[in-house]
Amino acid sequence: MDYQVKLDVFEGPLDLLLFFIKRDEINIHNIPIAYITEEFLDYIHMARKMDIQLAGEFLEMAVMLIRIKTKMLLPDQDQDEEEDIEDPRNELVDMLMEYKKYKKVSELLEDLEEKSGQHFTVQLDDHTEQDYDPDLFLSDVNLMELGTVFKELLQNMSEPSIYEVEKIELTTDDQQLHIIEKMGERSRISFTEITEELDNKIEVVVTFLALLELVKMDDYVVKQDELFEEIHLEKRKQGEEIGAKA
Amino acid sequence: MEQKHKIVLALLLSAEEPLQEKHVERCLDTEVEMENIVNQLNYDLNRTDMPFEVQNVAGGYKVVTRARYEPWLNRLLQKSGDTTLSQAALETLAIVAYTQPTTKSEIDSIRGVNTSMKTLLDRELVEVKGRLDAPGRPLLYRTTDQFLEYFGISSLEELPKMKEIEEILEEQEDGN
Repeated sequence: MDYQVKLDVFEGPLDLLLFFIKRDEINIHNIPIAYITEEFLDYIHMARKMDIQLAGEFLEMAVMLIRIKTKMLLPDQDQDEEEDIEDPRNELVDMLMEYKKYKKVSELLEDLEEKSGQHFTVQLDDHTEQDYDPDLFLSDVNLMELGTVFKELLQNMSEPSIYEVEKIELTTDDQQLHIIEKMGERSRISFTEITEELDNKIEVVVTFLALLELVKMDDYVVKQDELFEEIHLEKRKQGEEIGAKA
Repeated sequence: MEQKHKIVLALLLSAEEPLQEKHVERCLDTEVEMENIVNQLNYDLNRTDMPFEVQNVAGGYKVVTRARYEPWLNRLLQKSGDTTLSQAALETLAIVAYTQPTTKSEIDSIRGVNTSMKTLLDRELVEVKGRLDAPGRPLLYRTTDQFLEYFGISSLEELPKMKEIEEILEEQEDGN
């Protein structure tokens, strides 16, 4: 099991730098860049060791700090007049000053938030009801009351919907006879003709099963030219091979 | 308490959003000085030691409980401490409030870190108001009336000016 140590959480690299500046009472306009870079890199290493995922911006800042440090070690050769040389720290200072302002505002907002949070809006509107904790009002309910509520609930429940299912009276035996009668003396009949007087799907299904039963008896064959085409029932001629052609 | 004041109090108690002067005027069908009425109401509520008062927020007025009743209301409403905004959210709101309308990249560059707007949008403390006419047409964010209500202020003008913030910071620096 890994142990995780809580490290002070910083909102970002600027927040971390401001922390060092405040802690070590550093003048923000004259930052000892070598020192602060070291502190910054130490923090990153420590965070790594502790498996803390730091935002990519921390590494970007590390690069920036090292770049400034290098620039300060190597004065620009092309510049002769010293006063024209821009302090390489300026950009960083501007960023820190800007961020510091909004951090201050965020502190003010936090105070306002705390103060405002002490007041609760009084409103006779019913949508506030959902904010109440329902358990709070169940503390002194007795069994009798619960029972009454439950009974009321049962009474108010909607009636189960009822519908009738008719029993299908047709059997495959009936329908085999029906098919044979329909066919009469003919040698061939279409399935459409067999089923033309039927009322519903189930009867058609039963009739189809009856047709398959007939085929099993070897006296009949079914033929269908193509998929989804008309199905024909034919009386088997003498000498014809057993089995239905699909 | 005057009849008119009682009517206004009834309106304040029933309104869903902070009640503005024009709303009251529409209901009473006459011109009213809300500031005077609210002052008088608060005076009466205070004199009779009622547990609530009228507050001026988000450009209107609403009735709120007094701060000292917070502990009991917290229990009633099951409010836990973690409903307050995170440091990141507060910083983001600070930037939006002072630079609006503003873009996420502007916020990111000031904070020096990638910013998520989701919580603030979900809580309706900021809203999207159009796009910036620049490459990529980034979304523009600004604070909402809900923002004012949340922080209990009547308008953005109630926040200190940026110049005043700078002065506060300078003083603190000199103090170091």
